[in-house]
Amino acid sequence: MTDQKPLVRIEGLSKHFGETVALDNLTLDIAQGEFVTFLGPSGCGKSTTLRILGGFERPTHGRVILDGEDVTNQPPEKRHVNMVFQDYALFPHMTVAQNISFGLELKGMGKADIKRRLQEIMAFLELDSYAGRYPVQLSGGQRQRVALARALAPDPALLLLDEPLGALDAKLRGQVQQELKSIQRRTNKTFFFVTHDQEEALTMSDRIVVMNKGRVEQDGTPEELYFRPASRFVAEFIGETNLLSGWMRGTEGDKVVMDWEGTALKGKAPAGIPAEGKPITASVRLEKLGFHADRPQTANAVQGRVVGKTFLGSRMAMQIAVGDKDEPILKAYVDAETGQSVGSDPIWIGWEADHMAVLND
Amino acid sequence: MNDRVELFRGNRIFLSCVYWAFVLYVFVPLILMVLMGFKDSKFIGFPIRSWTLEWYTGVFADAEVLSTFGYSVAIAVLSTLISVIVGTWIAVLLEGRKFTGRGVTFGLTVLPALVPGIISAIAFRIYARYLGIEPGMGAIVWAHAVHNVPFVVLVVMARLSTLPKSQIEAARDLGADPLIAFARITLPYLVPAILGASIFCLLLSFDDFVRSFFLGGYEPTLPVLIFAKLRSGMSPEINAIATVALILTAVIGVWAERFTRRMNKES
Repeated sequence: MTDQKPLVRIEGLSKHFGETVALDNLTLDIAQGEFVTFLGPSGCGKSTTLRILGGFERPTHGRVILDGEDVTNQPPEKRHVNMVFQDYALFPHMTVAQNISFGLELKGMGKADIKRRLQEIMAFLELDSYAGRYPVQLSGGQRQRVALARALAPDPALLLLDEPLGALDAKLRGQVQQELKSIQRRTNKTFFFVTHDQEEALTMSDRIVVMNKGRVEQDGTPEELYFRPASRFVAEFIGETNLLSGWMRGTEGDKVVMDWEGTALKGKAPAGIPAEGKPITASVRLEKLGFHADRPQTANAVQGRVVGKTFLGSRMAMQIAVGDKDEPILKAYVDAETGQSVGSDPIWIGWEADHMAVLND
Repeated sequence: MNDRVELFRGNRIFLSCVYWAFVLYVFVPLILMVLMGFKDSKFIGFPIRSWTLEWYTGVFADAEVLSTFGYSVAIAVLSTLISVIVGTWIAVLLEGRKFTGRGVTFGLTVLPALVPGIISAIAFRIYARYLGIEPGMGAIVWAHAVHNVPFVVLVVMARLSTLPKSQIEAARDLGADPLIAFARITLPYLVPAILGASIFCLLLSFDDFVRSFFLGGYEPTLPVLIFAKLRSGMSPEINAIATVALILTAVIGVWAERFTRRMNKES
């Protein structure tokens, strides 16, 4: 984050619904122009945070500062924040143009200004030809664009997006992800995006905040989260991974040495170094495991057998048993040719210490 | 397999016979009533030897019938306006935030619809006298309005319960305070329900005899006038009046039903 004042400052935000704690002491800054994604399973607190930012919920504790102003107790209509709803919430009795102008009218904008802004935003989102249509006459993707246009039209300081791609089919979703990202870049707006879809989060975000049980698990760039997950939860939630359970043996330089299935493995150390002899978990991504006929020169190497293969087109998922067991305990992605050539003979699996993260549970 | 098909077919014929018998049972009296209105004789019954429009021209020239008709329409319109405003307001209150006593309030609101007409009419009569309200238009409008409120509440509440919460939140998000959000989002959404309920109230009021009879003054409503005319003997004039009323209500009813269905489909 830069040294300039943050656009949004969230200070010690908590929300309790009766006995349940939906959000537990969240503190976070969001910079102007950032695409921040709150990612997590349902009930993790991501939607509660979004609703507090929108003004639809009051926090039990804490404050929200927007552009230097405390907006914690402001109703939604007073905030310089707009939202794209999960179901789009387009007004069925209004045309596309009327839907988009709604927020402009209520801002007290003059007729001529409304018309100009309407044309600008409709051209920007390629909605010109739908101006006179009603929401029922639009496809899912078009509705989503109208919802976005309606929220962007009043030029909010912060745009909230509540899983807006959930209702689209898979093919369209990929396309819309690119579109959203490019819109965010071109408008230089601050996007606060909420989703449970890790792929969506990785594709679009500048920054991802992984939430779990009302708390932040990790806050970082997509690359940081993927390659350097801070916890077991993050490693499992983002992408597919191998989780190796073993015992702490010691350290070697800046690396941790662990005992796993009778082999010593080296990996990147977590934030706090665990005590010797403690049970620990390490994560290594499926695509980081290499197949070798002889013992490779990598920092980590184990001997195993392929006990199952799944053809996935460009690549193959391999299930690998290690030692004399028959149960597969490792999964790896290899290119389809390599996958086909591997038989049931014992092979060597190797990976570098930098590709394995030892995790805090 | 074949046996079952046969049985099914037999069932179907039997069921359609029952259905058509029912239709005849309902409509034959109505058809007879309409036919007798065109009979060129004061005596009701077959055979009809010659036809006439005399009874109809008579009805349309009868100042008493016309003013009574106007009186009934005025009562229907006024009482409907009151029931729709009060009913919509109650529906919005009940369907909004949960509050203690919501169930009881709902029960008390809907209960009047279930009270037998004669009982509520007598109760109204006593209460009106107690309050010093003279029998007449005001009293009838009041009784009709109160009686029709539950129907408005039920219809509007049903519609309101299907309004997604996000609609109101989106309006608020875009700068509407709660009142503007209600006027610009909730109310338009309720229009089909309010129109449907209005038509229903109009017909209920126009058709009501018991309350109008007990709470009326010297001027009768149309059903009360028909009743009064019947006491001096059945006449084809009554058939003519009834036929006009029948056609009017049927046309309005069918139109309202189709209209609300279309509006519902659109949103």
